[in-house]
Amino acid sequence: MTTRPNSSSSTHSLHSSRGYHLQQKMAPYLFISPFLLLFAVFGVWPIVKSLVLSMYATSGPKDSVFVGTQNYRYLLADADFHTAVKNTVVFAFWSVVLQLPLALGLAMLLSRRWVRGRNLFRLAVFSPYLVGQVFVGVLFSVLFIPQYGLLNQGLHATVGLPLDTKWLADPALVMPALVLTALWLYTGLHMIYLLAALQAVERELYEAAQVDGANATQQFWAVTVPAIRPTLIYVLIMSTIGSFQLFELPYIMLNNTPGPNNSGLTIVMYLYQTGFVTGDLGYASAVGWTLALGVLLISLVQLRLTGAWKAREA
Amino acid sequence: MRSFRFPFGAAAGCILALAVLAGAWLAQHPIERQKSTLTLWTFAPTHYEAYKEAVPSFEKANPGVKVDLQLVSGPAVTSRLQAAFWSDLDVPDLVEVPIDFAGTFFRGRLENVGFADLTERIEQAGLMQRMVSSRFSPYMSRGRIFGLPHDVHPVMMAYRRDIFEKEGIDADSIKTWDDFIRVGRKLTVPGKRYMLELFDTRDAHLASCLFQRGGGYFTPEGECILDNEISVQTMLWYVPLVAGKDKISNNLGAGQVLTKAVEDGYFVCLLAPDWRTKTFETTIPRVAGKMALMPLPAVEPDGRRTSTWGGTMLGITKSSPDQDLAWKFALHLYLDQQELGERFRGTNIMPALRSAWDQPAFHEPRPYWNQQPIGAMFAKLAPQVPFQYTSPFITTAKAKLGEALVACVQYYNASGDKGFEAFTRARLKKSADELRTLIRRNPY
Repeated sequence: MTTRPNSSSSTHSLHSSRGYHLQQKMAPYLFISPFLLLFAVFGVWPIVKSLVLSMYATSGPKDSVFVGTQNYRYLLADADFHTAVKNTVVFAFWSVVLQLPLALGLAMLLSRRWVRGRNLFRLAVFSPYLVGQVFVGVLFSVLFIPQYGLLNQGLHATVGLPLDTKWLADPALVMPALVLTALWLYTGLHMIYLLAALQAVERELYEAAQVDGANATQQFWAVTVPAIRPTLIYVLIMSTIGSFQLFELPYIMLNNTPGPNNSGLTIVMYLYQTGFVTGDLGYASAVGWTLALGVLLISLVQLRLTGAWKAREA
Repeated sequence: MRSFRFPFGAAAGCILALAVLAGAWLAQHPIERQKSTLTLWTFAPTHYEAYKEAVPSFEKANPGVKVDLQLVSGPAVTSRLQAAFWSDLDVPDLVEVPIDFAGTFFRGRLENVGFADLTERIEQAGLMQRMVSSRFSPYMSRGRIFGLPHDVHPVMMAYRRDIFEKEGIDADSIKTWDDFIRVGRKLTVPGKRYMLELFDTRDAHLASCLFQRGGGYFTPEGECILDNEISVQTMLWYVPLVAGKDKISNNLGAGQVLTKAVEDGYFVCLLAPDWRTKTFETTIPRVAGKMALMPLPAVEPDGRRTSTWGGTMLGITKSSPDQDLAWKFALHLYLDQQELGERFRGTNIMPALRSAWDQPAFHEPRPYWNQQPIGAMFAKLAPQVPFQYTSPFITTAKAKLGEALVACVQYYNASGDKGFEAFTRARLKKSADELRTLIRRNPY
């Protein structure tokens, strides 16, 4: 008795094979579909919606009038927006200029094997970041109190600063107070990144440099900086972006106000005020888009200036 | 029989099955709606505590009604309410809004304002006559009233009675601001003691002085008047009090620093609206008996001896399913004279209902204030409380006045009287013009 191949079995096998291939093709899409769906609903749609909204004068979602590019044109003449941009740029500049070198210095110090208790110091320097902006804001508000605050008492005793110096009520002192607070808050975070990068630098490079007669400064510029450059660029860009998104610190420290003479008004604060206090979501969207484009532009300039693209091409 | 196999493995099949089961269960067991029939948000802890006392009697008088009182933080109440209005979700039936933000809710077309128009109800109940009429003005827009005034908030002058007595100063002899400044020059010791606590960077105290002179931020029609003659003259008068070599005022901030400053005698006098007298009682208890109140000095002899600072409106939202019941509760909170008397004991806040001021609570001597019957003193001044008008741009107007103040203070500190008037006029005009430009953008 001869056996004939079972036609139904072969068809089943063919179907299974086709089904298998279909499954193979579909599986990745199926697995990423939850993310894509969520991203489309909560990411892409709000972005598109806010772009459309920026072309409207609104009072909440019920009242809206199409105004075209008027919101963007008004931004160019809006004195408060100019103040917000100026304050944010000043804050970003001083944050980067002060935080990065200090973080690098601390990272280099605390990566030295001869520093006793360096793990404790690392934790101590990093810990302000753990408690968050709101807590730090409240803490520094108390430190900056005139007449009775710790900072004024200390500065009065050491350098004779008037006791009633109003750090958070004098337009000239608000920004230094914010920069100082941010310095305390973020230096530890940057230090951790740089510490990790420093620990990854190969010892042999330093040994080779020493053999070539390089002193400590030359080793720093010729070995350390090139080796940690990707991390430095990352920290620089993230620090800049973070500075441009500044909101919580001035909001808490200035008691929900932009400070005297708008001296603590940042772009995100202005966006919040315009959108959620005044109720003009359209104008707030225009502010948001301008901020996003500005940050993108600055990041591109930074990448260009630091040569990050060249490194990648190489 | 062929067994079914989920194409992407057992784990993915289990996750899918769990998701379907969970979804089905949730669909079968929807979250129960809150059982309360009325929800009220308030931002002031003192109001919250007082209303807790008033709720049981309302619930007893209205069987089946359950009131849910919610204390929402001051800064959050406006943004949370704004978001609730926009999304039409979790909107309370009644909500108390600070006076400084009330106007921001009146933006847009009248039919889209989230608060119910209470004009007819107020007229029918005769509340314009029974309450202090000037207190409705901050809650009006385009001739319609959207809120009931919680309070009057007349301003008096709180002072350290012991320091006055030690320095031989008779508070009764201070009738006008000129008298006050004269005494201030005598009492002020720069860096150590100041006659008065006045803000030099925020608009609040300056605004009270503006109101006392009949000025303000807006006309009843919502037009900006930040640069009118009253504003200019008030600024010219105010700035030398807080800036320059001869200043008699300073400010250090609120909270513990103010407590310490008053205890130390750093500030001799403080502007004291009714609500702030309770703040002093609770946060600066050590000066109990050493403090006293006097009417605000007048701008001119026989002029107005008070002003106003702060306020709260109670609004009913359009989303409330039973606005009649909400109105009934609002009247229960704001018109029950006995409750208002009790509430005054706990908050020192003068209710807008005139007839309530006859309650015994308003005539009791207060030990903290050297046995003064502060309720009766505030009640005497309450009818003089000036009008103030609002606009959807009120927060910007306040910020612009604050900016002008800072600029004038800086100028005066640097240059003194020289060219100060011209600078003040120009700076106020700049602030007003910026605000007018913003208002012109409003398409509604």
